[in-house]
Amino acid sequence: METIAVYWEPRIKTYGFQRIPDLALIEFSCPLSNIKSLGEIFSQDHLEIFRPKFIIAQESAHKISFIFCLPNKEGKDFHATLKKTSSSTTEKYIYPVGIIFFHGPHFGDRYGIADATFSTLSKAGIKIIASGCSSASVFLVLAQHDIDKAEEVLSETFEVAK
Amino acid sequence: MEKLKIGGLKQSLELCQFDLRGLDSSEEIASKVSKLLLAQKINMEFLTFYPQRNNYHQLTFCISQDKFSATSEILRKEGSLPIGWEINSSEQAGIITIFPHQSAIMILGVIMSSWAAQSIPIYGIATSLSAISFVTDYKLLDKATKVIQDLFQMPEDHAPLKPEIRYQQSDIVKED
Repeated sequence: METIAVYWEPRIKTYGFQRIPDLALIEFSCPLSNIKSLGEIFSQDHLEIFRPKFIIAQESAHKISFIFCLPNKEGKDFHATLKKTSSSTTEKYIYPVGIIFFHGPHFGDRYGIADATFSTLSKAGIKIIASGCSSASVFLVLAQHDIDKAEEVLSETFEVAK
Repeated sequence: MEKLKIGGLKQSLELCQFDLRGLDSSEEIASKVSKLLLAQKINMEFLTFYPQRNNYHQLTFCISQDKFSATSEILRKEGSLPIGWEINSSEQAGIITIFPHQSAIMILGVIMSSWAAQSIPIYGIATSLSAISFVTDYKLLDKATKVIQDLFQMPEDHAPLKPEIRYQQSDIVKED
């Protein structure tokens, strides 16, 4: 396999920060033994109207927990749909939250991106509600009122490529 | 029935996974762990963090399999994690990333149900703007891929499923 080295940047370059404000976060879980039936529910045509802006799932204690972020109206409807099913249990509904996300060259292959992100937010006293990093993207779910400050401090750490 | 269209899929190289769980602490765990790994030049290829579950925090991440021992040692060293934090790890994990055009919930549902029917586990999920990544058992990556290929319609000129180039962070500083 060919290996290509990516130079260390004194200031990590990103393609820019994007935001999605005014979202609802829904946390729900299901026992691992019910994952097939929950999947069948998600596969139903009428759920196609829901367009989550962020999804993560974590496994723990024989359960899988999902965190979805959707626009608030969709979030309420999705929450109501989940309540009708016996496959999952809704644990939390948080509104309003916002997402700030960014990506950069080979972010998924380079060390130091997560540290630059989390240390910057931690130093600024910004609490992360949820985060998911996959491929070359970093997604941060924050309290709505923290989004401006987060973009400000992250813009000092990362360089937005021109 | 017409197959659901997807833009493509990609397999990861061999990875391993760590799940760190513990009670709320004054330490910012995501920041602390990412700093510990940075010091060893270890990249997290996949990460989910959720500190809201009944005051329990969970940080899950995947790194290259050859960094498993070094990372275990770092995390288990006294003082690395707050007292009482639990570490669970899998020595082998792999990621399948799907590039959907739309219908993320439908794709999620179809994969959850069809993988469960084939006893293929899901250890983690994360989305980006245009992709969904599923963490599963590395040994089952080809089987999991086959299930997806049977269920979804992919472009005819699809890029190779397995990575052909490995990118690594160099220590050489690039000056503008």
